[in-house]
Amino acid sequence: MARSRPTSRWTLFLSFVVLIACFVVPGVTVKHENFKTCQQSGFCKRNRALADNASAQGASWSSPYELDPATIHFKDGQLNGILIKTTSTHEKIRMPLTVSFLESGAARIIVDEEKRLKGDIEVRHDSRANKKRYDETEKWVLVGGLEVSKSATLNAQTETGFTNVLYGPEGNFQAIIRHAPFEVEFQRDGETHVQINHQGLLNMEHWRPKVEHQEGEAPEEESTWWEESFGGNTDSKPRGPESVGLDVTFPGYNHVFGIPEHADSLSLRETRGGPGNHEQPYRLYNSDVFEYELNSPMTLYGAIPFMQAHRKDSTVGVFWLNAAETWIDIVKEAANSNPLSMSAHSKSNTKTHWFSEAGRIDLFVFLGPTPQDISKTYGELTGYTQLPQHFAIAYHQCRWNYVTDEDVKEVDAKFDKYQIPYDVIWLDLEYTDDRKYFTWDPLTFPNPKGMQEKLDESERKLVVLIDPHIKNKDDYFVSQELKSKNLAVLNKDGEIYDGWCWPGSSNWVDCFNPAALPWWNSLHKFDKFKGSLSNLFIWNDMNEPSVFNGPETTMPKDNLHFGDWEHRDVHNVNGITLVNATYQAMLERKKGEVRRPFILTRSYYAGAQRMSAMWTGDNQATWEHLGASLPMVLTNGIAGFPFAGADVGGFFHNPEKDLLTRWYQAGIWYPFFRAHAHIDTRRREPYLISEPHRTIISQAIRLRYQLLPAWYTAFHEASVNGTPIVRPQYYVFPDNEAGFAIDDQLYLGDTGLLAKPVVTQDTFTTTIYIADDEKYYDYFDFTVYQGAGKRHTVPAPEDKIPLLIQGGHIVPRRDRPRRSSALMRWDPYTLILTLNKNGEAEGSLYVDDGETFDYERGAYIHRQFQYRDSVLSSENLGTKGAKTAEYLKTMAGVTVERVIIIDPPKEWKDKSTVVIVEDGAKTGSTAVLEYYEQESGKAPYAVVKSPNVGIGKTWRIEF
Amino acid sequence: MRLPQSLFLLAVAGSTARASSDKISRPRGVAPEYAKFYQDQETFTCISNPSVKIPFSAVNDDFCDCPDGSDEPGTSACSHLSRNSPLTVAERPGYSDVDLAVALPGFYCKNKGHKPSFVPFQRVNDGICDYELCCDGSDEWARPGGTKCEDRCKEIGKKWRKEEEQRQKSRTAALKKKKDLLVDAGRQVKEIEDHVIRLEAEIKGSEVKVEGLEAELKKVEDEERKVVRSSGKGKGKVNALAGVAKGRVEELRDALSVVRGQRDEARSRLKELEDILSKFKVEYNPNFNDEGVKRAVRGWEDYAARELGNDEDTAEERDLDEIAKADDENSGIDWAHWENTEDGCNESDILYKLAAWLPPTLVKFLEDQFFSLKAFLESSGVVSKTEEGSTSESKALTEARNALKSEEDTLKDLKNKLRDQHADLEKDYGTAGIFRALKGQCIKLDAGEYTYEHCFLEDTKQLQRKGGSSMSMGKFVRIGYTSVEELNEAGDVISIEKISLEYENGQHCWNGPNRSTKVVLECGEQNEILKTAEDEKCVYSMLVTTPAVCPGGDEGDSAPRSKDEL
Repeated sequence: MARSRPTSRWTLFLSFVVLIACFVVPGVTVKHENFKTCQQSGFCKRNRALADNASAQGASWSSPYELDPATIHFKDGQLNGILIKTTSTHEKIRMPLTVSFLESGAARIIVDEEKRLKGDIEVRHDSRANKKRYDETEKWVLVGGLEVSKSATLNAQTETGFTNVLYGPEGNFQAIIRHAPFEVEFQRDGETHVQINHQGLLNMEHWRPKVEHQEGEAPEEESTWWEESFGGNTDSKPRGPESVGLDVTFPGYNHVFGIPEHADSLSLRETRGGPGNHEQPYRLYNSDVFEYELNSPMTLYGAIPFMQAHRKDSTVGVFWLNAAETWIDIVKEAANSNPLSMSAHSKSNTKTHWFSEAGRIDLFVFLGPTPQDISKTYGELTGYTQLPQHFAIAYHQCRWNYVTDEDVKEVDAKFDKYQIPYDVIWLDLEYTDDRKYFTWDPLTFPNPKGMQEKLDESERKLVVLIDPHIKNKDDYFVSQELKSKNLAVLNKDGEIYDGWCWPGSSNWVDCFNPAALPWWNSLHKFDKFKGSLSNLFIWNDMNEPSVFNGPETTMPKDNLHFGDWEHRDVHNVNGITLVNATYQAMLERKKGEVRRPFILTRSYYAGAQRMSAMWTGDNQATWEHLGASLPMVLTNGIAGFPFAGADVGGFFHNPEKDLLTRWYQAGIWYPFFRAHAHIDTRRREPYLISEPHRTIISQAIRLRYQLLPAWYTAFHEASVNGTPIVRPQYYVFPDNEAGFAIDDQLYLGDTGLLAKPVVTQDTFTTTIYIADDEKYYDYFDFTVYQGAGKRHTVPAPEDKIPLLIQGGHIVPRRDRPRRSSALMRWDPYTLILTLNKNGEAEGSLYVDDGETFDYERGAYIHRQFQYRDSVLSSENLGTKGAKTAEYLKTMAGVTVERVIIIDPPKEWKDKSTVVIVEDGAKTGSTAVLEYYEQESGKAPYAVVKSPNVGIGKTWRIEF
Repeated sequence: MRLPQSLFLLAVAGSTARASSDKISRPRGVAPEYAKFYQDQETFTCISNPSVKIPFSAVNDDFCDCPDGSDEPGTSACSHLSRNSPLTVAERPGYSDVDLAVALPGFYCKNKGHKPSFVPFQRVNDGICDYELCCDGSDEWARPGGTKCEDRCKEIGKKWRKEEEQRQKSRTAALKKKKDLLVDAGRQVKEIEDHVIRLEAEIKGSEVKVEGLEAELKKVEDEERKVVRSSGKGKGKVNALAGVAKGRVEELRDALSVVRGQRDEARSRLKELEDILSKFKVEYNPNFNDEGVKRAVRGWEDYAARELGNDEDTAEERDLDEIAKADDENSGIDWAHWENTEDGCNESDILYKLAAWLPPTLVKFLEDQFFSLKAFLESSGVVSKTEEGSTSESKALTEARNALKSEEDTLKDLKNKLRDQHADLEKDYGTAGIFRALKGQCIKLDAGEYTYEHCFLEDTKQLQRKGGSSMSMGKFVRIGYTSVEELNEAGDVISIEKISLEYENGQHCWNGPNRSTKVVLECGEQNEILKTAEDEKCVYSMLVTTPAVCPGGDEGDSAPRSKDEL
């Protein structure tokens, strides 16, 4: 046959190949074979099969779980009862149910298994494993918000077969509990927002003895019940199948967000296939995923099983408190069956399906209605972001590795030479002597104290890596103590578990053991961690835990922790138990010197925000990874862990100058702003980059420093309200549907600053979506953008960060560039003021010493700035404490040096002075006002020179 | 340009901080050379933007008025006026389009008792006593947060003067050493020049000898030819040769096919091994950083990167196939032709004729190996077997030829030596050839895990301190200039050219280039490595002091050349 000419089919095929090639990062892909797909995870397969079966049966499917009405007992905001599960062999399994209605407005549903609660089961292989279902996740995660509602009452008007409970802050919430089949519907103001077991996928695999069947005679498919092998490792599963699963439906909701950590879009995708959808459920099983891929539901290093559903004017959420391996399926279906109305604005139901390998069902339901309500209520439970030390929100310079103490000092000196500010330099693992933590390499770091003292001269800090794997070596004191004190994680046979990590053969400290804390604490003391000074802080890496020779690069699931809990029970909280131990250790390294710890963690779970910052792990120096960092950071923000960032520049490989520059311009918008690089990459400290990129990067870093007052204020808000530090579009404009899925632009706190980092190559203009009809001004030249619900074209040459400020805000800044953020402490403020449609503006500022807990005793300044009726005023938002007066005294000399008003009233053209009235001053004074016109398209502006009003004082400036 | 008129009308409230001790008071932070701009006590004219005039009371009032920052010589209020800052239009109102030209180099510290200097404005009143630049502590005059910087100029100045004295001594010593180096270099040049003269004389002598020997050889050859002519038929020689060669060729052919078989087997085993390794390379997890594994992968990559010749050369294979075939009229050597031919030529001609019949690859091989083949033929008796009768004449001829050859070799050798010496004289050894005196001198530095070694104009090395291997970081290629960024007095980054020694083509780097080192030289009394750095993967730099580059001395100007400000 003659060779055929290229046909249209070929062209199609070729374009397909090209298309695929565009999506694939050349040369590097994640090693899929190292990680399980749902098909390879027994309980995932079983729960998905259950869902498939239910969906195949359609309306005839009925959940085999019933609430026995005779057992229902309601008292003090809490409903108790017994769920009865009828098995295929008509066995009845009793499962105690508790539904708590909390003062905060959240509701909590717990389902356990009676037999296991009573210890009335047998564990195979003579295993020591605890017979109960793991019920201590909350010990690591919850810190409050559990007060039950006194006002929650049973609704008298309830149909038979139902128990209805009225609750909520204003009594406008209702839980409608159907007994058979069991289902709970949560209503707000009479409308259903969340449905539990509506699809009938509730599943608690009850304990059963293993029965040997003749081949082919097993009543059920049991291949994944008693043993599972993956990657050459066999899980002995001493308790057999024990997974839990539940479906949660959000009727009328089109978007769900949250459940980090995944390298995916902010708005979560469907997971049951189809164009643009995932094939696999979102997985949460903390893992060291090498060269992770983007746009994937694959698991990463951290897990927060907290999901929010959002639609116009309503946000609700659920929190699945379970520490075992978890998968989440998401399916969206049209709410109205008219297929023609499937537009972007069409209503749909989002159906989610959650299942975990072990543990209890423990679900919190939040009814909002605003994103802020959700943040607040969730934060009451899991804790708010720790107010970080001030240095921690400045620029961090990291590399694997700065090779000697002299190298560190030289990098330090170079930043000063080029007048680029930085606060923290980091040491990856090579500083240790032979990878033994709490030691220094005697050849490369002979003088660690001298190095830290040098850094301290400009109040800079050092962060060093401390991991949970302890080198298994007899002459290493940490290893000796770990063994002699019996503080290590055990294998399934109860012997010290030995695995492979950086130091080679290693053992893992078991921070679930209360006795591990005082020991871990002792290791961090200055006399034990010799060579460490008070400006040294800690980076906890590899705490998933990463085990190089373990299944899925982590520990075997049948390993044993303190309390004989299996690793499978606790895996996802393992990371934060280490962070918790480190946090306790760092609070008071020297008696009487209590400081806010700073810890960076790679692995995390809900609650990590109270103790640490996170980063997105080992990313790559590609434009795609730069782009992916924004939705990842935004997702962490709305999931209650906003102190997040990605490695600036990309960890693996060498970024070209344009990519590195754009990455800095984006990285200054990460709450955690750190540059990091792999050991095999070229040096890329910002001063090494040739001009003009060096200057552009310096400007970006200095912009971060200039805005630190606004950043610190946003961190303070996060620490008391749980609000994200950088916020996605939907969070700021929850009623603007067109913006719900936008995840490439972000808002800094409440400041009205809207940044749109450029994340694609050779892009010199971009568009910014504006939701409302306020005026937005270019941050640098005051160009005006106005028009609601539109994408506006904004110039983005390489030396410019697309950054707007919305009308109606007052943003505090500090303009004087210093070597480190600590040295800005005494500098005066500049206030940037933009007016809204009503000619008004507001903003706030939070300041404290940035390192101690004195703020808890009133040592802080918290001001509300307001502009209204031609008066700019500063009012106190703080409450007095024992240390307030002393702190205000130290800050007495710190003033406002300049107020810049963008787009002021035209009448000001003829004004030359303003009147200043400071509280306590006998007479008012005046300051100069200058008014400047600009070319058309750019707003005029006015500058108040040297008003010199005290930052901690109450004052008015009358225009 | 619109001028803020209000400024002329208003005396701005606020303190004008001035150094009170000066009678003809110079505002705080102003160096004497800038004093002239601050004479007018009524109005201040911004230095780089003279169109902007402000009341003198606005000088040092901790608010930045001038677009060039010149109104705040004593505060940090204008420190943000820098290319490195994210400036908006409102920081230099009305002047945001005009190029930024910061007027002052920094805050002037008088440092009485020591030498005056400038501190960058960003360090003024930041709560840190910058004694290194400002020993009198005046940079923290506002005592922010209670910072007190006492005047330490007395002790710092004393210490500095002592060190300066030491430095001066050291400089003098360095210059003396440099002089010695120059003398040494000069002596070496002289030695070479003398050597050149000697060589030239020897070459002349040798050329005369060669002429004589050539004549001698010609004579012997003429006699020899007669002898050969008279020795009769040469017919049997070729036949005999062909017979022996044929047997030998058969033998070789058999051996070839055995060896090829063995080669093919080895090749397939190698292929299998390579497949295992490439799979290993793809599948290992570099993040685990197992040194053993990493080393193995590195080794494999180095191996794979090397051009291992074209082992799948089909042309060569074809040739070998050809060779392996039995000879007949169409393929290989037609022995019959040779066995029945008369020869009218000498042995080497035979060889060339033979070559015409051989496959090209073999010919190439033969050409390369001509002499050894010839030697083989001779030693196996093929070539000279029938020459028994002419031994005495041959000996004379051989001797004459050898004598000539040997003398020619001597001459060639001498000429080479001369050429080398000329080349060395012309080679760049730096100004006045000073590095000639340092060539081959080695210095070492322990830094971190390694000891670094630099041998002037030869090579650089890295030796593992924990015991272990030495690694070449490059072999000398040239003397060059390198731009080094340094701070000037004003704290601006400027580029300075320094002499550097460049070393390239060191050991190959995993995932990278061949190692190379740039040795940047600085004036110093000792030859000493101050520090080393790996600027990027396997590209090293060393900072080395040597008296050879100290400015001054006899060789003329070798002071570092300064480039324009960045």
